[in-house]
Amino acid sequence: MPLKLKKTIAPGLVTAFLFCLPLFLSGDYYLTMVCSLFLYVTISQSWNLLGGYTGQINVGQSAFFGTGALVARLLWTGGLPFIPALLCGAFSSVLLSLVIGIPALRLRGHYFAIGTLAVAWIAFLLAENLFPGVTFLPGKYVATYSLLPRYYLYLVIMLSTILVVFLVVHSRMGLAMEAIREDEEAAQASGVNMTKYKVIAFVISSFFVGLAGGAFAYFHVSYYWYLPFILMWCFEPILITFIGGAGTLWGPIIGSFCYVALKEVFALTLGEVNVLIFGAVFIFIILFFPKGIIGVPEKLQEHLSKKAKSRQSARQKV
Amino acid sequence: MRKGNFITAAGILSFSLVFLLLPFMGGQSYGGAPEKIKVGASVALTGKFAGGGVDVADGYKLAQKHINEDGGIYVKEYDKKLPIEIIIYDDESDPNKTVARLEKLNSVDKVVAYLGGFSSAMNTAGLAIAEKNKVPWVGVTIAAEGVFSQGFKYTFAPCMFSFMEVTAFYDALDSLPESQRPKKIANFELQSDWGIECGKYLKEFGQKRGYEITLTEKYAKGTSDFSSLIMAAKAAGCDAVFSVPTPPQSMTLIKQMKELGYAPPVTCFIRGPDLSNYWEVMGKDANYILTCGEWSPDMKYPGNERLVKDFREEKKTEIIGMQVGCGYGAVQVLADAIERGGTLDSKAIRDALTKTDMVTVRGHVTFDERGIGMVPYSLCQWQNGKLEVVTNPDHTTAKVVPAPPWDQR
Repeated sequence: MPLKLKKTIAPGLVTAFLFCLPLFLSGDYYLTMVCSLFLYVTISQSWNLLGGYTGQINVGQSAFFGTGALVARLLWTGGLPFIPALLCGAFSSVLLSLVIGIPALRLRGHYFAIGTLAVAWIAFLLAENLFPGVTFLPGKYVATYSLLPRYYLYLVIMLSTILVVFLVVHSRMGLAMEAIREDEEAAQASGVNMTKYKVIAFVISSFFVGLAGGAFAYFHVSYYWYLPFILMWCFEPILITFIGGAGTLWGPIIGSFCYVALKEVFALTLGEVNVLIFGAVFIFIILFFPKGIIGVPEKLQEHLSKKAKSRQSARQKV
Repeated sequence: MRKGNFITAAGILSFSLVFLLLPFMGGQSYGGAPEKIKVGASVALTGKFAGGGVDVADGYKLAQKHINEDGGIYVKEYDKKLPIEIIIYDDESDPNKTVARLEKLNSVDKVVAYLGGFSSAMNTAGLAIAEKNKVPWVGVTIAAEGVFSQGFKYTFAPCMFSFMEVTAFYDALDSLPESQRPKKIANFELQSDWGIECGKYLKEFGQKRGYEITLTEKYAKGTSDFSSLIMAAKAAGCDAVFSVPTPPQSMTLIKQMKELGYAPPVTCFIRGPDLSNYWEVMGKDANYILTCGEWSPDMKYPGNERLVKDFREEKKTEIIGMQVGCGYGAVQVLADAIERGGTLDSKAIRDALTKTDMVTVRGHVTFDERGIGMVPYSLCQWQNGKLEVVTNPDHTTAKVVPAPPWDQR
């Protein structure tokens, strides 16, 4: 079997499994949990492209998520079919990322992080004050509400995000982004157009976060307009990516799984203590496995080989 | 991807999946009368709304204890009394979690009805899920009437809404002697659905009842500097202030009013001063502030004495949050509907809820066609460290006292 075809078998099987999964899940709870998982994979994977691969710590994800949700919901409940509304939401996020990104990406390191956090906070305040009420789905949508289309929407968006991030990081563009992350001066000296690649990463990231926001707007029957703008949407993708492993394709997937699944189990079984335990797990990972869960085998291997080496040198001394 | 990484990833994912499913592998009884009546709630036990959420949950738990001590709820279909079990999950003050928890309660725990959580954000998400799943929902910490104008059929809230709070405020003003009655009212309008609604009713009812809203000043949820609002009210000579600030804002407002020497005879903050620890935090500055009076340990409604006595014994404290009584009352309403419905069918419980007509620990409760609870309109006032019930159709514990200047409080 050709190697290329071989490589697509596993992802193809996983995708087919995910498409069939609703057949095996009884009750809306599991579907809701899986939808939540897909949402977190999407937002953390898109954060990963800019933060993990390009090294630009964006702490303003909620502004783009919220914009996608706001525009999609307004247009959809206003009468536009959902898919065009969703795309309008995503492109609004892209537009915002261009407006914010071009000046903000001149900033570096902490300054960029603080700048994007300020954007998120401004977006939250604007949403809270301009839209102080609750958005409800019109009665006709509530009556026919089903989780299945929501599930497939989340799934398609998640798979597209993973695919696009995979293609980008395995292209020359991805190489340039990683070069920027490793050393901006060296990358620039090697002829990498820093602004161009940073903006591209920002735009792609914002597009998928905007799509995820639109899916959020499609999923919820009712919520306060400001909800997709709360800062939780800024910090959670970062937390998830670092738990799983930043700058790796699998990191956000594993991180989301741990974040959604383990947090749910902890919350349901441990009550109020769950927050403490989850916090301790996070600190443990950051302290001892800075490359995230994905880096655990490497770290263990390193540790074992170090031990073996020290034993060998001890024997030699003897 | 390297082979090692793939194996790690697959291992972690499978382990987590098994771990995730573990809690749901419990047994379930089939056929005949169920062992108990399962009711579910998703409440903020951690996170920023935990303060109020814990009070609501305590009210639920105490009501469950009392109902079961009395033998349970009689269900005609099985011709026997069944104990009630209230399953409470923590939504971590996150509306997304509220949705997931309520779905679990419905599809995994198979509850026959939901009880509400704490705060409008969580309840708004929750009642939509109840409507979608066609499971009756009884919640107590939601005050914006607009939420109940969506034509939902399964949602009920036996608590005070914006129009009741404003009515109670005017009742409090009316109870003052003519010579002491404020004439010019300042509305510090919080920019939220609830705040805007209250502003609308303040104007509408004020005109009918002969009060003038001299000043309306808007502020956002995050505002912490109220000096311009206060100075404007002072300059306009307003002798009453109404607002629904967030709890921290209610404290800041009072401090800044004192600093700026603005002491209107009537200050009514529906939210904030209703917290049981408000006096501890504010000291004498809290004196004479009017606030929401949904429930009080001093209310003489049947069952309230038992609630207060048992709570104090159990928690070893004299302080009881207002939401404890509200939560307790919600369970009473639901238990009554289950009994009148005569079956554990959600539709029958829902239909019975629409015909609710009973007296709970917080007073008489009925519902209008939207599911809004018609409850006694009640306000409390801080008087020397105690929250006195000053307006209530059934009984009061004190009269409204106009506030003197700050140095005389």
